Amino acid sequence: MTLSAPDVNAAQPAAGDNPATLVTASADPIIETRNLVVRYNRRMTAVSDLNLSVPRGAIYGFVGPNGAGKTSTMRILTTLLRPSGGQAFVAGYEVSHDPRSVRRTIGYMPDFFGVYDDMKVWEYLDFFAACYDIPERLRGPLITDLLALVDLTRRRDDMVDTLSRGMQQRLCLARTLVHDPQVLILDEPASGLDPRARVEIRELMVELARMGKTIFFSSHILADVSEICTHIGILEAGQLVMQGELAEIRRQLMPNREVIVTLLDKLPEAKQALGAIAGVQQIVDLPDEGGNKRLRVDFTGADTIMAAMTAALYAQGVPVVSFAEQAHDLEEVFMKVTRGLVT
Amino acid sequence: MNDTPALIRRQRWRMNPVTLKELRGRMRGARAFVVLSIYLSLLSGFALTIYVLYVASLNATSYGGQIGEFGRSLFYGVLGIELFLITFIVPAFTAGAISGERERQTYDLLRTTLITPRALVVGKLISALAYVLLLLLAAIPLQSLAFLFGGVGLEEVGLSFVVLLVTAVFIGTLGLYCSATRRRTLSASVIAYGAALFITIVLPIIALIVLALLAPFALGLSNGSPSLAVQAALIYGGGLLTCISPLTAGFVSQALLSGQGVLGYFTQTLSANGSSITLPLLSPWIVFSVLYLTLAALLLRRTIQCVGRIDSNNDALTYATKSSEKGERSP
Repeated sequence: MTLSAPDVNAAQPAAGDNPATLVTASADPIIETRNLVVRYNRRMTAVSDLNLSVPRGAIYGFVGPNGAGKTSTMRILTTLLRPSGGQAFVAGYEVSHDPRSVRRTIGYMPDFFGVYDDMKVWEYLDFFAACYDIPERLRGPLITDLLALVDLTRRRDDMVDTLSRGMQQRLCLARTLVHDPQVLILDEPASGLDPRARVEIRELMVELARMGKTIFFSSHILADVSEICTHIGILEAGQLVMQGELAEIRRQLMPNREVIVTLLDKLPEAKQALGAIAGVQQIVDLPDEGGNKRLRVDFTGADTIMAAMTAALYAQGVPVVSFAEQAHDLEEVFMKVTRGLVT
Repeated sequence: MNDTPALIRRQRWRMNPVTLKELRGRMRGARAFVVLSIYLSLLSGFALTIYVLYVASLNATSYGGQIGEFGRSLFYGVLGIELFLITFIVPAFTAGAISGERERQTYDLLRTTLITPRALVVGKLISALAYVLLLLLAAIPLQSLAFLFGGVGLEEVGLSFVVLLVTAVFIGTLGLYCSATRRRTLSASVIAYGAALFITIVLPIIALIVLALLAPFALGLSNGSPSLAVQAALIYGGGLLTCISPLTAGFVSQALLSGQGVLGYFTQTLSANGSSITLPLLSPWIVFSVLYLTLAALLLRRTIQCVGRIDSNNDALTYATKSSEKGERSP
């Protein structure tokens, strides 16, 4: 497979895993910025003192309102913009000093379509492959692989401008892959797409992460981010207000966790058993649903408390139908850390 | 690795990807062939008109047997048309070459690839010139009619071809330079067309006027003939003036070739007040070619530098436009 990344030390998750658990924290950042500053016309500061750290193999969601400085940051990482201050590294190369090595490492998809109207689909990929110095004899099979990956095999000989927007976006994604980059930098990959195309792009991104690629993408659509990201960084008014593993951020910002327990019977016993566990703060009765009793258990702490709860319920012989943690919506996290500032 | 040298050799011979892409796009569909057909039918119509006029003038006067004259007028007519074709077509192909990539928003994509600014600029230039070359070559059968009627030598054909090609290269690099330095294709086109028309029309007119005023002095024809040094200066000055535009350079070179058989180096002897001086001179087309190719090389270098530069200050205006175009609300 031409697309598999060379770096084997990246996370190698098994297929079917929840993407949120794909990557454990890595001490080896593939994208790193140090005190990065972007200023426009000397006055307007788009990005100030940005310290990003994207671990190898992560799906990193770069979240923030429009105008927060996401695109500026990405343009620096893709060597299109020179930083006004600070440094940025991609795969160990400094973007200003060694732009060519950075370009070899990254695949960039801007937030607009760069599409030539007088080209066929295969010519489009062939052209960019040639721009990446890929020898002609390798390009044919490469294009076949890429088109299969983004499900455009049947459109190979169609003109690029006859494709739907979702297809063009997938073609652009295929284009970012022609030189088998380690890092994909995608600016608003799902913006302007219909729901189906959005899901398709999301699935492709997960698939690419599975191949070992690091994906750094920006979005202001929180649903996309929370579903596929392993890490997030929240940018507001040019400053990083929060960064880290998504699950960790959730835990820190939402120390109160809640579990919904559905029982067939034995409600008092269940309440008693759960109430005895350290960390449980309150137990709230919820309305019955389909004849089953329901409880909401609020607690603080680690997953061991949840394990203790199930063990206690089992020990009491409580007939449990379901036991599920309510994940906090990322929007709550977002609202909590941002203040609605836009530059 | 064993196959590394072979790979490098292959790569060296690989076609510039930009040229390949541009030519694919340009020759696709009917447009390129329609343009070629219109161009050739105009040229043929022109040749036919000259022929009809010539035959009519023969009937009106006497059978002079100067059939070579027809050959010459046909030849020069076609050359003139070709020069104006270059003036109008080359800016059209080059002024949008880089600004067009910006407007299509493919410029950033190209710049994040490994393609060098030089390969990008040279690729664009070659693809534009290739089509112009096709048009020039397509007119050769028509020009060869001039051979049939006589009056035109092989050197004259070669010379005119060189002048046309040098003009095309210069206007091409000029168009690319405008395209790289201007944000919009429209303003790049305006400047490129202005400059192209200036060198093909305005410069020759200026040269003609100045030469007409200076010629009597330079050749010592006016009363009170000036000193030799002034005459020499005027000859060199006037000569340089003929060299700065393709029309005058081509015309004077052709005149020297057909009149005195001079293709390159020649001398002119001046005499005044009993003393004489021999000036070494070059046929204008040589000076013209060196001058224009040097300027083209300089422009090309500037263009490549401009394309290779990484902005430290994005245009705030385009940035704002882009954000508002997206028309999306923040979460």
